[in-house]
Amino acid sequence: MRYDWNAFDSEGPPERPLVAWRDLEAHITDGFSVTVDLSEDNAGTDALLCLMGEIDLVNVAVFDRALHSVIDQGNRRLVVDLGHLDFMGIAGLRVLGAAAARLDPLGGTLMLRSASALTRRVLSITGLSEAIAIEGVESGFDHLGPEQPATEVAATATTDVDLLGDVVPVAALAASDDVVDAALRLVVALARATVEGADGVSVSLARQGRLMTVAATDETIAGMDIDQYATGEGPCIDAATEGRWFHIESLEEELRWPSFIPRARSRGINSVLSSPLLARDQPVGALNIYSFTERAFAAQEQQLAGVFATQTSLILAAAGVDASAGLIGRRLQGALRARETIALALGVLMERDGVTADEAFNIIRRSSQSSDRPLSELARDVVSSTRQVGAAPAPGDRGE
Amino acid sequence: MSEVPTDALDRARLDAALSHGELWLRYFEMGGMSTALEVEGYLYGALKPSDHDHDVLVHAINERFVELGGNHPVPYSEGGDA
Repeated sequence: MRYDWNAFDSEGPPERPLVAWRDLEAHITDGFSVTVDLSEDNAGTDALLCLMGEIDLVNVAVFDRALHSVIDQGNRRLVVDLGHLDFMGIAGLRVLGAAAARLDPLGGTLMLRSASALTRRVLSITGLSEAIAIEGVESGFDHLGPEQPATEVAATATTDVDLLGDVVPVAALAASDDVVDAALRLVVALARATVEGADGVSVSLARQGRLMTVAATDETIAGMDIDQYATGEGPCIDAATEGRWFHIESLEEELRWPSFIPRARSRGINSVLSSPLLARDQPVGALNIYSFTERAFAAQEQQLAGVFATQTSLILAAAGVDASAGLIGRRLQGALRARETIALALGVLMERDGVTADEAFNIIRRSSQSSDRPLSELARDVVSSTRQVGAAPAPGDRGE
Repeated sequence: MSEVPTDALDRARLDAALSHGELWLRYFEMGGMSTALEVEGYLYGALKPSDHDHDVLVHAINERFVELGGNHPVPYSEGGDA
């Protein structure tokens, strides 16, 4: 059984039954569930909530209801287990923050278990780590950068646009799509919460030569993007290819994009703001903000959208995304192969010479210096030499 | 090696005509384990790399010098290994 608390007291099942809420109507995700354990088994804890799946703007109400019901029933020491939660966005964080704020004057506590590094980082950035304890971390602080001032727990995100600047180091951890996508999901959630009139936000990026939606606040919005890709026209596509802004104040009055407009209107969209995302001055995608209201985006909202677009571009730049996304993909593949070959070669040398990895690296590296041949080439020699009987001396062999 | 933080590595990178991104990729290819941000720190002397990390980075720069027709001018951790 996945949950580590699912063990009944030897005297029988807990007095209070387990309560499970399942919301299988969550969009985009496979489902989200909150399972509550109120048994006496959990030492020092009144209630343990286990989350599974992804929290998005649609199903976050379920999580909110669960937390407050548990508190309503008189439970004060809560533990929320995030071990099986695939994604916790701004929406989920705000629910946690509100619950912590409610528990505090009651002398209660909220603690997170198995929070991912990304979740801990976001908690730290938003200042919520001061109000919410993280199991296993002493001060509740787990930050990699300069200390962030604690923000008002229940505050809206309007003043925290700059916190996106701290998401950049997360994206720089690896040039992998997963990390970039996680950061972008944070961005769209934050943009949706911050830009007045925004009903949905998406980010589309050029990957493997195609434009695709890599983050969206809900399925309607993802569907909007798909309409554009399907018809080959739309403000998102034009922003991503031309690197310019496209604003549709009122879809009813819009004359451009005759194939795309009717589809968008049928989804209830009435204004759209697409901002280009640039990497090294080349357009690589677009940040799209949609509203069910026409003329939703006045000058201030446009400016705010611009700030988000800039921050998103910084994230992409830090992650190494550039215009030739296909090229980057191939380059990375080549880099990964070379890296694996070198790792293999180091392994061979470690085994053969009984040295550490660093020492093995020095052996190949010195060989590369003296022969003026690239290290990757020598590594290939080492690896292929193991396949041959009576092979020619490999780099580092005595007498080379 | 001098204890005073210096951007000598970054100047070597510039001489080798390598962008930060390209250098990181080459460093990554050779098994480097530090993030792009950390590598920038090493280049500017803001972060001190381990000897191994330092040597992988230096070798990435030196191989580039060889590509340009030069030698391996940047010294490794042990020193005297040119």
